[in-house]
Amino acid sequence: MRKILHADCDCFYAAVEMRDDPRLRDIPLAIGGSAEHRGVIATCNYPARAYGVHSAMPTAHALRLCPELTLLPADFARYRAVSERIQAIFHELTPLVEPLSLDEAFLDVSAVTRFKGSATWMASWLKEEAHKRTGITISVGAAPSKFLAKIASDWDKPDGLQVITPDNVDAFILALPVTKLHGVGPATATKLAAMGIVSCAHLRQWPMKALLERFGKFGQRLYELARGIDERPVRVERERKSVSAENTFHRDLPGLAACHAELPTLIERLSQRLERHGNPPIKGVFVKVRFNDFTLTTLEGPGHQAEPNRFHTLLDEAWARGSRPVRLLGVGVRLVSVDASQQLTLFDDAT
Amino acid sequence: MKFSISREALLRPLTLVAGVVERRQTLPVLSNVLIEVQDTQLSLTGTDLEVELIGRAEPSQVDEPGSATVPARKLMDICKSLPEQSEITFALEDGRAVLRAGRSRFTLSTLPVAEFPNIEDGQGTQELSLPRGTLKHLIDATAFAMAQQDVRYYLNGMLLELGRNLVRTVATDGHRLAVCSRSADIDIEPAQKLIVPRKGVLELVRLLDGSDELVGLTLGANHLRARTGEFTFTSKLVDGKFPDYERVVPKGGDKVFIAERAELRQVLSRTSILSNEKYRGVRLNLEEGNLRVMANNPEQEEAEENVSLDYSGDTLEIGFNVGYLIDVLGALDEDRVQMTLSDSNSSAIMEEPGGGDALYVVMPMRL
Repeated sequence: MRKILHADCDCFYAAVEMRDDPRLRDIPLAIGGSAEHRGVIATCNYPARAYGVHSAMPTAHALRLCPELTLLPADFARYRAVSERIQAIFHELTPLVEPLSLDEAFLDVSAVTRFKGSATWMASWLKEEAHKRTGITISVGAAPSKFLAKIASDWDKPDGLQVITPDNVDAFILALPVTKLHGVGPATATKLAAMGIVSCAHLRQWPMKALLERFGKFGQRLYELARGIDERPVRVERERKSVSAENTFHRDLPGLAACHAELPTLIERLSQRLERHGNPPIKGVFVKVRFNDFTLTTLEGPGHQAEPNRFHTLLDEAWARGSRPVRLLGVGVRLVSVDASQQLTLFDDAT
Repeated sequence: MKFSISREALLRPLTLVAGVVERRQTLPVLSNVLIEVQDTQLSLTGTDLEVELIGRAEPSQVDEPGSATVPARKLMDICKSLPEQSEITFALEDGRAVLRAGRSRFTLSTLPVAEFPNIEDGQGTQELSLPRGTLKHLIDATAFAMAQQDVRYYLNGMLLELGRNLVRTVATDGHRLAVCSRSADIDIEPAQKLIVPRKGVLELVRLLDGSDELVGLTLGANHLRARTGEFTFTSKLVDGKFPDYERVVPKGGDKVFIAERAELRQVLSRTSILSNEKYRGVRLNLEEGNLRVMANNPEQEEAEENVSLDYSGDTLEIGFNVGYLIDVLGALDEDRVQMTLSDSNSSAIMEEPGGGDALYVVMPMRL
């Protein structure tokens, strides 16, 4: 039986801001883009949540719910620095760490012998160390699989520690609402409810075949999750496949010329990001356009560098597909797979 | 059309011909095999428009000559599953093919013979013949290095070079290269270089045995034809420029060692278990009297093996895709293998000690 921990920082961006400026601690605070720029909330603290504000909500909507909301722009450099110190604590426990984002990671601690092998002790040590060294509180879930560990970490947030032992996996799952399962969003939940499925206990009564018919491949996943089956390993390597920069404009760009005018800023941001990733080898470039009717088009071509002219040429063609005002523009590059690039070749590119 | 034939006489040519037929076809008639009977000869033809194979067999009785096309795989599966030594009667009745054996009867659909395509003969420019064993050896020694579905389409095949008293095959996927040459009683002036597509190579070698009997070759502008007694094989050629293999054979490698081939192969196979499953990198550490082979994977598992060698040069650490090394060790047939290296970024040569008819070049990996 595996021992998996899921560690999740409590409202991470907001927590960093509150740590650095205690005046923000008890007032509604959100990190995100401004309403004028059609921004969305990235994170908010608990006082803001009391008003119904949550992440991914358009900022304009959040401000309607909570007019006194303090809104701060994200300062990723600072968040990244804190994240690195927290990740370092994870690595003191085990090398098997799979970071999901700046504020979230899975740890496979099955083979850890410290703390007499107790996942509960390990979890409380992580929480203590993170708070002591960075001032950030984290919630940790411990369980025999990834999906249960993630549900557990969310169970009594903030500053939570929830353990699902192998013995109580079954009882836990049976009582679990299906909406807690990863991949079950509002649409699937409605569909399940129409079938009389609200909890995993209901879900378990359905045979695989019926679930496959109704949900396709996801049906198998539902069948397995309802039985606590989740063999996904904690993956240490997470290969970055592309790097991109995009912007949603606060006013639609009326035509192609306006799009071309915005491109240099995006390309500059892209090259900064590439530099931060150590300028990895590139195998292709792409341009992404979302028109004001919300249709999205992506145009891709081969290329070994983020060359401005290439993006302008791709933009001409991509824009022509919709030929209407543009809401969002993005530029990006596809990266050569790291390991593949390590195989040296007999012929240079010319042959 | 009506004839009888023993299961065994039909099965060997049918199996080989059906091998050419692709499972997925754009033209329905391409999943069929063409059966033609004349006098005392039966011929079976399968094609995918790139490769065509005609197999011949002797019917025990011909009642009525004629021709038909029937689904290749179904016909083969039926013949395979009939009892051994069955006598099969094949007849065309009302546009359907009826196959009878003992108390079994199968009725198969047919498609018009006129729809069955044949590869254009073109102009056969040159005729020659080679011992079957020679051609088989050349293909076996190099075919594994052919590319698969590479955008450099000319690498998805094998270079066949025919010159004065010499025949040579070359294959490469851009990471490793295999070349094998043998002397032969031929005289082609100027030397001809053909690229035979991957599928053509793999089908051709199935027709060859190791014997000294001859295989007749016809070199056309766009195709290669090979004839043995029972088979006529035709493959279109790849139109492209194959890379100059001599340019990539490294010169001046100063670190040379000789190892027991079977032992080295086992060591590499074992080590590979703990290499990265996708990229299969292993690290070779060449030291005085010893070769250390190491691998590790993303799970931080590690393998280490040591092989004693007669080596006294400088030390070298170099990485390789272990699959490339194992492929070469499988293709060589001498008891020992010689490896020549220079530095960790340069290609290695593998061959029989002192050099045999085959030579392999493998590019390293950065680890």
